[in-house]
Amino acid sequence: MTTLVRPEQKAPPPHKRKGVTQQQRPLWLLTPGGILLILIVLIPLALAVYLSLLDLDQYTLRRWIEAPFIGLDNYVESFDSGLLHSIWISVSFSVLSTAVTVPIGIAAALVTQNAYRGRGLVRAAFLIPYVLPSFVVASVWRTMLQPDGVVNAWLSKVGVDGGLWLSGPKSYWTLVLVEIWAAWPFIYLMALAALQSVDHEVHEASAVDGVTWWPKLRRVILPYLRGPVLLACLLATLNHINNFTLPFVLFGAPAPDDVNVMPMLVYVTSFQSLRFGLSAAMAVVSLIIIAIPLYVYLRAVRLDVHEEGGRR
Amino acid sequence: MSASAEATRLLPRPMLATLTVLLCAMVLIPVSYIVLASLNSDVGVASGEFWPSSWSLESYTKIWTTADLSTGIVNSLIVCSCTAVASALLGTTTAYVLVRYSFLGRLTILRGLVGLQSIPGTLMLLPVFVLFSSAGNYLGLTVIGTRWGLFVAYLTFALPFSTWVMVTYLRGLPRELEEAARTDGASTVVILWRIIFPLSLPAIVVAGIFAFLLGWNDVLFASVLTRPETHTAAVALSIFGSAQEGGALPVYSQMMAAALICALPVVLLYLAFQRYLVGGLTAGSVK
Repeated sequence: MTTLVRPEQKAPPPHKRKGVTQQQRPLWLLTPGGILLILIVLIPLALAVYLSLLDLDQYTLRRWIEAPFIGLDNYVESFDSGLLHSIWISVSFSVLSTAVTVPIGIAAALVTQNAYRGRGLVRAAFLIPYVLPSFVVASVWRTMLQPDGVVNAWLSKVGVDGGLWLSGPKSYWTLVLVEIWAAWPFIYLMALAALQSVDHEVHEASAVDGVTWWPKLRRVILPYLRGPVLLACLLATLNHINNFTLPFVLFGAPAPDDVNVMPMLVYVTSFQSLRFGLSAAMAVVSLIIIAIPLYVYLRAVRLDVHEEGGRR
Repeated sequence: MSASAEATRLLPRPMLATLTVLLCAMVLIPVSYIVLASLNSDVGVASGEFWPSSWSLESYTKIWTTADLSTGIVNSLIVCSCTAVASALLGTTTAYVLVRYSFLGRLTILRGLVGLQSIPGTLMLLPVFVLFSSAGNYLGLTVIGTRWGLFVAYLTFALPFSTWVMVTYLRGLPRELEEAARTDGASTVVILWRIIFPLSLPAIVVAGIFAFLLGWNDVLFASVLTRPETHTAAVALSIFGSAQEGGALPVYSQMMAAALICALPVVLLYLAFQRYLVGGLTAGSVK
């Protein structure tokens, strides 16, 4: 964790830019990976869009080339089959999870910034939720949140009736809470990397000026974190929206109506109702939803070492 | 030393201590629950005990017969290892060309590699499923339910991911060695094999581990593309979990033991490669 400052963050010496293009370019080296990428990524993606225009069900599935073409009917139907509800659930769940994980992640980064005995252990502990596979996290919380499980046993000790966590209206909050538990270390990692890029002189200058901790944090330190944390927020939100494993393992399929997020809706429509064309349309719509944050993210992320300065 | 430590401290000491304790409790209570519950009896866990009233290692021996976990783990290991090796090696060659040479469409490819990681898995799974299930009709091949079918499906997200990990590493690698070798008349293949591969071995390992973990943690693809004999560990655990409710005697202690066993390879990989993995996580801003 001490290697967070990566070598490529330094600006490359200017003379390096030459010699990139001049030599013969062994583009054939792209072919094994490139052909595979086209075969298994681009063709399926194009096919997904085409499928969304077909009336494809379990009878036509094996001969999908001959399946009837029905234009945009699937898209029209998808809005009558609860897609808007799922979009709302997905988006609100993702934004809420991101909003809560940010302060937790930043706080965790702040408390592990300074060396003290046992810090290594604390840092390792902070990574546990992130390291554990999603399906393990979901299985564990599913067990703890059973009607007779340990959470309700504790709640009843303080006189609170926990009730049902895995179905009914509370399931939405269960999903949010478990997602927060599993996802905050990502923000922590990004915030920690940003904290470590703050020069020591900055700290010393604040100490000399006698600034107390809160103004120092707000005016001096947090501005350093803004860029990286915003980027992390975008990526975290995208990951929340696409998270299938957590709702699937926590609640099973079909999911309760209150946690019927977009990936669950697409999954159930295709693999339980066997309406493949309809679910392809839903999946394409969900891609359009995430396209906005994804576009912003792609503009912000550093793609290339050869592009210097602000040009992108 | 202590004065400089004092200068970089960001929070007052009591607040720092409180926050650390709170955060650790938030993480460690559920984590210790997994361990404690797996050492408890099934009845104890089902009645909501945190601290076991009776301790035993029975769950760890019983689980292998209650659930088909061993098949799942073997399948996961085979499929994910193949995915890791294939995507790390192909990813390295592709990334090398992407980093060192400029050509038309290069930025589009780079952008695509990043973008692909945020595409909904369901959007990829649908066409893959349709192609696989129609392969029997059009090509006379059985793909659904086979390990190699799952392997190909995993490559759809592991390959762009590993390629991107390698791009972020290779662009930080100095060019001098390759240029020297080229002046000595070495061909690109020799440079790749004798210079790039040995120099970027740590990154190749990380790219492979990430690809392995993507497969190991996947439930979506495996739940659709496997049949009972080819189930992965993740699918075995989630089926086992959903079978507990509605059944007569839920065996939650065994389930927690199974959860720990499934988490073990991942935790070991992270412990062994912690430095590299955390660096890779933040450098590329990839998940």
